[in-house]
Amino acid sequence: MSGPIEQTAGAERPAPKRAARFWQGEAVNRLVLAASLPLFFGLWEIVSRSGIVNVILFPPPSTVLGALLDWLESGQLLVDFGMSASRVVVGFLVGAVLGALVGILTGRYRLLSSLLSPVFQLLRPIPPIAFVPIVILWFGLGETGKYFLVVWGVFFTVWIAAHLGVQRVDEKLIRAARVLGTPEKRMLREILLPGALPYIFVGLRTSVSISFYTLVAAELAGTFAGLAYRIDIAQQNLQMGQMMGGLVMLGVISAAADKLFAVFAEKAVWWS
Amino acid sequence: MMKDATQNTPAPAGETPARGAAISVDNVSILFGIGENTFVAVDRVSTEIAAGEFVCIVGPSGCGKSTLLNAIAGLEHATSGAVRVDGAVVTGPAAQRGMVFQQPALFPWKSVRENVAYGPRMAGLSNDDARQVADGLLEMVGLAAFGDKRPQTLSGGMQQRVAIARALANTPSILLMDEPFGALDAQTRAMMQENLLQIWHQVGITVVFVTHDIDEAIFLADRILVMSAGPGRFVQEIAVDIDRPRTPEIAVDPRYVDIKRQSLEIIRRESTRAFEQQLKSVL
Repeated sequence: MSGPIEQTAGAERPAPKRAARFWQGEAVNRLVLAASLPLFFGLWEIVSRSGIVNVILFPPPSTVLGALLDWLESGQLLVDFGMSASRVVVGFLVGAVLGALVGILTGRYRLLSSLLSPVFQLLRPIPPIAFVPIVILWFGLGETGKYFLVVWGVFFTVWIAAHLGVQRVDEKLIRAARVLGTPEKRMLREILLPGALPYIFVGLRTSVSISFYTLVAAELAGTFAGLAYRIDIAQQNLQMGQMMGGLVMLGVISAAADKLFAVFAEKAVWWS
Repeated sequence: MMKDATQNTPAPAGETPARGAAISVDNVSILFGIGENTFVAVDRVSTEIAAGEFVCIVGPSGCGKSTLLNAIAGLEHATSGAVRVDGAVVTGPAAQRGMVFQQPALFPWKSVRENVAYGPRMAGLSNDDARQVADGLLEMVGLAAFGDKRPQTLSGGMQQRVAIARALANTPSILLMDEPFGALDAQTRAMMQENLLQIWHQVGITVVFVTHDIDEAIFLADRILVMSAGPGRFVQEIAVDIDRPRTPEIAVDPRYVDIKRQSLEIIRRESTRAFEQQLKSVL
């Protein structure tokens, strides 16, 4: 019965298998991985210079690189980077600490949660960008407004992660801690906090990206230096290379921040 | 009605309790839910457990044996009746009553040693002293070399031994065990049972051990309390007067076979009764 099926299968098998093995090989995979970015930039260069698109509006990477180097040489890049980085770092830290703290408390104490959760759930969905006009009136063009926007973006994400994290701590561990004689007032520090930490870190990592989104909104609201501000200024002067360079810088920096945070998280919550 | 066929439990000779405490379960009922959805998990259960005794509670799943154990631990409150330990009513968990669950429930963010040191640290010992206690207990359960390991890297049996060491680190007078070897393979389970008996012999602690495995109960216990489901009650008490130290060979001892036959008969009868009761309530 199964004879003919086996025969055909046996006859056809070797050839696709060899091809499949080639594409599944580790060396091939590494080659493709290494070729990814050069291919992207190469294609971009070719398309820009081919005449299919307007080279002024869509400059090739070589032009963008030139603009980036000019930006660096003028010393302005460092200033812009420093300003943007300080806004992200300060906003992220303040938002993260507040969010984690409040989240742990609302996750632990029901009354506090009943008091605050409805308000937070109402405010949470408002995109930080929508706050830009009002922030200008409240804080002017100074740094406080920029921090406020980033804090706003980060706080709610970390808050909800910490809140849910505390509530999702494995019930088995809480029972084990209780029979081991943990006093109620030490439960938070000994069990609930470390138990919630993996959740909190998921929230924190999401917030790294969020703080960069919010940074752009904050800098477009009016400032005197910053990566996103530079993109805005370059637009007014039709400096396409500088604009794209600014985008590349934002991409590189937020990717680096995300990666850095992932490494840190792996060390901080090594058990999850 | 069918209570206590073998009433006369001889006190185990040569196993003088060093620090065990006596437990008295006095007419304890535990109800869950409210109104029409009230469920009687434990129904007017009474028993006396002597200091240093090893008692097994057996019964089908859902018969309330774990609930009763939780009540002794103080994790569950008796709706009526009381659990007393050396005369004092149990109102909540205490370090004096150690507990081991079916899942090891080790703290994943702590090393093996820190897990065992946790109880003593809560009791106010300094970190160094607590670590010393932990190392002594890890030695006792044969895991002295694993103190720095993360719990997740250990096998299920090893994790459960860490859990036992952690419970004993508080020098409790009672050890409550809720199907602690239920998730282990047969060989590991047999080894753990022997290991547990050695430890019990060594520290002279009172042990209440919940299981649904009759063989496990006979191998370990001085006395077996058989519980029935719907509602949870003790239906029989069986004294296991087999000499200690026990080895797996006791499985061919005529007394072992006799006790096993007796228990299986009760459990079969009770299961049938519970099943018929269930049918009646459905029809």
